[in-house]
Amino acid sequence: MTLVLASALLVGAGIVGSGFLRRAWLDRERERTDFRLAGWGIFVGALIASAVLIGPMLGLALALTLLPVGGLLVVAHGATRREARAPRRAQLAPEPLEGRSRAWRGWLKALLAGPLGMLAAMGLAFCYASWAPGAIQTRLLIAALLVPALWGLAMTWTLADQRLVRATTVLGGTTIIGFALAFLGGVA
Amino acid sequence: MSRPVERPRGGLWRTEIVRAVLNGHSVLGIAFAAAIYIVCLSGTLSVFVRDFERWEQPVAPTFRVASDAAIGRAVAEMGNRAGANRNFYVLLPSDDFPRLLLSSGNDAAGEAWYADANGHLTTRAKSPWTDFLVDLHTRLHLPQTLGRFLVGLTGVALLSSLISGILAHPRIFRDAFHLRLGGSRRLEQADLHNRLGVWPLPFHVIVSLTGALLGLSTVIVGILALLVFRGDSQQVYALLAPPPAREDARPVPMPDVAGLIAMARERAPGAQLRQIEVSHWSRADMRLELSASRPRLIAQQDSITFDAAGRIVAEKRPAGLTVGERILGALGQLHFGWFGGSAVRIAYGLLGLALCVVTASGITIWLARRRDKGRAAPAWERLWAAICWGQPVAMATTVALALLVHGRMPDGTLVTVWAAVTLLSAIIASALASRSAADLARVGRCATGLLLLGAAGMHAAISMRGATDLGGFAVDGAIVMIAIVLLRSICPRRLIPAPNR
Repeated sequence: MTLVLASALLVGAGIVGSGFLRRAWLDRERERTDFRLAGWGIFVGALIASAVLIGPMLGLALALTLLPVGGLLVVAHGATRREARAPRRAQLAPEPLEGRSRAWRGWLKALLAGPLGMLAAMGLAFCYASWAPGAIQTRLLIAALLVPALWGLAMTWTLADQRLVRATTVLGGTTIIGFALAFLGGVA
Repeated sequence: MSRPVERPRGGLWRTEIVRAVLNGHSVLGIAFAAAIYIVCLSGTLSVFVRDFERWEQPVAPTFRVASDAAIGRAVAEMGNRAGANRNFYVLLPSDDFPRLLLSSGNDAAGEAWYADANGHLTTRAKSPWTDFLVDLHTRLHLPQTLGRFLVGLTGVALLSSLISGILAHPRIFRDAFHLRLGGSRRLEQADLHNRLGVWPLPFHVIVSLTGALLGLSTVIVGILALLVFRGDSQQVYALLAPPPAREDARPVPMPDVAGLIAMARERAPGAQLRQIEVSHWSRADMRLELSASRPRLIAQQDSITFDAAGRIVAEKRPAGLTVGERILGALGQLHFGWFGGSAVRIAYGLLGLALCVVTASGITIWLARRRDKGRAAPAWERLWAAICWGQPVAMATTVALALLVHGRMPDGTLVTVWAAVTLLSAIIASALASRSAADLARVGRCATGLLLLGAAGMHAAISMRGATDLGGFAVDGAIVMIAIVLLRSICPRRLIPAPNR
């Protein structure tokens, strides 16, 4: 029952907070610092209150799940419908870089973003598990979380970077140094 | 104070960086969209696994509280059934799942039972569709190691897409509330993609990060073991969990489980017993671990382990846990939304659907951009429509089939049907060159809606006869609502001119 009430309050906070932000960001005439502060203040306040009143992990998880639901309700409420028409280029997002791509570049990028990115992420993560302070369980779990996070970053970077030699050198070097340091440090 | 119309962008959001990142975002999306979509759709449904288990088997003992004596009796009966060499776990009744479930695994030799309020195993637990759904989400019905790795890789690709999506979005705040429907197709899809991608970003990051870790855990542990333990993965696991008891297969009399439960309750006042895990029942190396949860904690953090003589061999309390142990306990709860009751499950369901829409609209934007530039790819448009709407059709078909022949179909039937419908939808989409992707999407929505209506009707008719768990009717109601929304979406939309701002 308490959780149901807390959930309803968090969705409500999401609606009110994003309502303020909507008013601030849609006003094209003036900088609405007051509304902006009120909106962010409600979000931050709800996060802190949840962590304190419900529990640090449970409260934060609840707030991070339910506040955006309120935000999305505000977005859906403000949706506009239009007659179908041809696109206006000015309203569209920037275009991706386009150029002639060569097959070997594609395969090399896939290797960099895939296996080499994974190994580089593991090298850094295992290095953390070996050398960081703290209990072994904490180091291992943080290292395990670092693997997908760092691999995701490596993927983003290598797919965007046009300089393949740079990406290969950095990822290859990180892998070798990371694994070597982890091997030297051991895990126990 | 007047606001400048457009500030020159610098730093991370310089135009050339945005365009390069957007290029990577597109490549990643195109490469992984189908896998991400299937994993997200099945994951969204997996949030409601316990509800589906109740729905699939409405005739089973249903109660919210079990006595210690009943739990003890159920453990002993299950121990005798499972045999000394199989581990089994007991899920105790709760508000979210008011049943006493005992399971010795999902493989061919494993079995699961529901016990009644007296602790007697009365009903064989069978939920073939739920098992199908979970296997689809966790390993795409591929061999365990390969499937889990691919799902983990999909999680990393999703995480990377989220990072590149944010970096490629210079107007993230300015556009935060724009949702323009019905205008140009590309603008509409871009608004949906960005709004549903940005607002629930914490949710998207949490599920993709935890999902990637859960999927990649075997590979991470394997490589770490190769690096520092000469390939012995058990040594890595031993750092996280207490080592199992020394092998001793001598048969010995088992302790009074009800008494052990009472002792555990006494030692952890305020904690609510949730789960029991039993290994090597009836052997001298038997271990019985009881786990309990507390109101302010996201996962079970109280545990106590007894040996065959009823002695305590390990005991953990929340205050004594390391941060790593707390994170380990919370991973599954955070990934599946099993931490805040039905409100969080519903929110996870909605946000999971949002992630499916983000994935689907990403490819639609790419296809619309090609069309705008005079390089339309109608075959790819139809194929993508077949994937987006073929999956709901395939899943709805398996639901209807599971209800029709519940408990009477050979293993693997649902997987075969799902694969056949998936393949068939792709073949039909490729063959129907005269139809547009929008036509195919309408057919998919219509077929899914009708199949779901049929499934809900069939289930309600079956359940009318002697259902003991009425929770399944709520699932029927949700299915009917989804079916109505899908069928209504086939009708043309009424367009309202946008107000002048």
